[in-house]
Amino acid sequence: MEKSKLTFFQKVKRYRTLLLMCTPAIIFFLAFSYAPMPGIYVAFVKYNYRDGIFGSKFVGLNNFKFLIQSGKLLELTKNTILYNLAFIILGNVLAVFVAILLNELRSKWFKKVSQTMMFLPYFISQVLVGILVYNLLNYDYGFVNSILTSMGLEKWGPYSDPNVWPVLLVIIYLWQQTGYNSVVYFAAIMGIDQETIEAAKVDGANGFQKIRYIILPSLKPTIVILLLFALGGIVKGNFGLFYNIIGTNSLLYPTTDIIETFVYRATITEFNFATASSVGLYQSIIGFVTVMVSNFVVKKIEPDYSLF
Amino acid sequence: MKKKMLALLLATSMIGGLVGCGGSKGDAPAGDSSTGSTTTDNASTDNASSGDASADAAAIDTSEHVVINYMVTGDKPSGDAAASLDEMMSQLNAILTEKVNAELAIYYIGWTDYLSNYNLTLAQMDGSVDLIGTASDWLDAWPNAKNGAFLELSEDMLKTYAPQTWASVPADHWDLCKYNGEIYLIPEDNYAQWTNHGFIYRKDWAKEAGLTDGVKSWEDMTTYFKYVKENMPDIIPWDSDGTQYAQMASGWVASHSDFVPIDGLSTGGLWGGTKDDLYTIVSPFYTDTDMMVEYAKMMKEWNEIGVWKTDVLNNTASSNRDDYRIGRVAAEQHHTQTWTDLCSATPANTIYQDDPDAESGFFYFGEESKNVVALSITHGAMAVSAASKNPERALMVYDLLRNDPDCYKLFNYGIQGVSWDVNDEGLRITPEGYNSDTQNINGMTNWWWGRNDDLEIKDATRNWDAIDALYAEYDSIKIDYPYGQFVPEVDNIQSYINNINDVHNTYMKQISFGLYQGTAEDIVAEYQAALKGAGIETVQEELQRQFDELYK
Repeated sequence: MEKSKLTFFQKVKRYRTLLLMCTPAIIFFLAFSYAPMPGIYVAFVKYNYRDGIFGSKFVGLNNFKFLIQSGKLLELTKNTILYNLAFIILGNVLAVFVAILLNELRSKWFKKVSQTMMFLPYFISQVLVGILVYNLLNYDYGFVNSILTSMGLEKWGPYSDPNVWPVLLVIIYLWQQTGYNSVVYFAAIMGIDQETIEAAKVDGANGFQKIRYIILPSLKPTIVILLLFALGGIVKGNFGLFYNIIGTNSLLYPTTDIIETFVYRATITEFNFATASSVGLYQSIIGFVTVMVSNFVVKKIEPDYSLF
Repeated sequence: MKKKMLALLLATSMIGGLVGCGGSKGDAPAGDSSTGSTTTDNASTDNASSGDASADAAAIDTSEHVVINYMVTGDKPSGDAAASLDEMMSQLNAILTEKVNAELAIYYIGWTDYLSNYNLTLAQMDGSVDLIGTASDWLDAWPNAKNGAFLELSEDMLKTYAPQTWASVPADHWDLCKYNGEIYLIPEDNYAQWTNHGFIYRKDWAKEAGLTDGVKSWEDMTTYFKYVKENMPDIIPWDSDGTQYAQMASGWVASHSDFVPIDGLSTGGLWGGTKDDLYTIVSPFYTDTDMMVEYAKMMKEWNEIGVWKTDVLNNTASSNRDDYRIGRVAAEQHHTQTWTDLCSATPANTIYQDDPDAESGFFYFGEESKNVVALSITHGAMAVSAASKNPERALMVYDLLRNDPDCYKLFNYGIQGVSWDVNDEGLRITPEGYNSDTQNINGMTNWWWGRNDDLEIKDATRNWDAIDALYAEYDSIKIDYPYGQFVPEVDNIQSYINNINDVHNTYMKQISFGLYQGTAEDIVAEYQAALKGAGIETVQEELQRQFDELYK
């Protein structure tokens, strides 16, 4: 009660050490997230190099027109969201699973090696991933097809079959991201009070019971917070992954076209900042709304787990 | 406290940095608005109208030594190549310094994603480039002019600072470089070249395939590919990459109609007129269903023959042209200018050394229908950046590079005796010890915006008999590009065009490589319905309205 009566300056004085430690982060966000924000205005002008962002002609929502006219907005948003849902849900489930497995490993040496092995794909550039996948899967001289042919089986042509890509892309995503994502959960598991676990053991809990009743509940806050963060980007597609693997293979668009790849293709030829920004704004607004709503819901159910 | 001070310092320096950025951006327009009335300009415009060019040149204040940055698409040379370029540049800069007290530096826009990087560099407007090589059909010249990236070149400026160029370009050519009454581009209008596309193929193999006159139609091309595939197991008929579809489709249309597309409006030239009715907008891709179905069928046949690799759409790194030079593929799709290289027995084209019978023919799109349009004079053009701090000197440098024989030869061919020489017949040859990897200056300066036939020296290695014969054939059937003066106002239809582009690219890739599912009729119907949905009729009406305003 007393705290809330403090003036702003008194608060600053009281929490100066904390504030000081926050300063780099605060400056970072001010400089890179808040300062450029007025630039959003570019989404509403006909941008002219000489007049600059604020001197160019105001055109209202004109820049948003092409997204709607394409008639693809719904389909693209749907593709983007479905892929992201698959990435977020499967990604987190698998990450938790892997983190628990790692935790159960007794051999320290093996634990370190497998953690490193799983971590490595995260550092491979998406461009290289695209090339790797192409060399594995392409029809004429791909690795998979060479094996199939040598076994006397028929060749497999994923690059001309749109239906296999949702599965393939999710697998590739999981291969690349799981090692990295599991680190956070692994750290959370390490943070669980060992006494609780030992007490459970004394009470006769077996391995599965330990996981079910102690580890998973302790991970819940972490899972919820990571999910909330991820939801903010639910309409932001993973351009690097999609563009490098699918490229401009139009045969595969029906199942692999997301907002980013469509906008890239449609506007790459004319270099229009304004249109690009309008798309970015559209995605940010949906992301903002999603985060606010889901945070609100989480707060209703379990206030401690909400972000703010 | 110390840390706090440090943080504060950091914060202020960052904010200072931001303000600094804003400031320099603000400067650019101020700088260019003054160019119209700089002191040097004022001093000389008075004599410009009356006096001759040399008198003007003498009156121009060139006391300050400046560096002119010339922006060009191309990969920056490295290693020994860079060394020979530097050597040439130092000789050239000595001349430029003596004549106009300026030196030239080349600013490269690498080929990877060149159009994005090109436009991005122009959008910076920070004065880092002065002379800009541009093109109305392949380098977004008009969109950039409209976006304010290029400086308006007043007649007085051109007369004063680029007098020889001004005199050599006829008035009607200058008219084609105007937008809203202002000149933005200096055209490369005195250089004979053909950039109409077609298939380059092995004429000797075509004869073996029974095509005694060579390939004369798309059907002959089918015969040729079939022959190659069946009889030469080691050779890929055409190792195409996934980007060739647009040229193939417009090539098919050129060969089967008298359609004349408008340049630079959309990928693949979807709109245009017809030879007998130039100013009524049509789009055969959209209306001529039978023609497109025929196309889809033939491309499916090619795909089944195995002309290209199965995963051609994901094939981005094909080295087909270099493979053609060494005989690993049987065809290349590109323009006439490229054929003039590939049909000649240059050191790089080893097929002619390996096989004395080797011969390269060219099947040009539009051959069947005699539908060939001459190159627009703004296929290569020079512009001056609106943010340039020295636009006057930039023009003076351009004038020398385009018209001064010494500068021209240095800049285009390199140092005589090192990179090139002249033989007894007056043709250009490569001297003893010449290394095409490191001493090919022509391939480094990429001067495609002011070549000049008055100063060109014919290349002795070129197969001039074949080239001249084809050029004569072109001259007998060509029409001039009719829409040079048409700079469409696309603000209101750009969103439709973007979507139509995407539809065209999406479907044409599948059609052009025969990789569609279902029948040819189905895919063409689907394509045309998608075009309609994306607003092709709206765009056509708007273009027609602008055509009527301009031409009627």
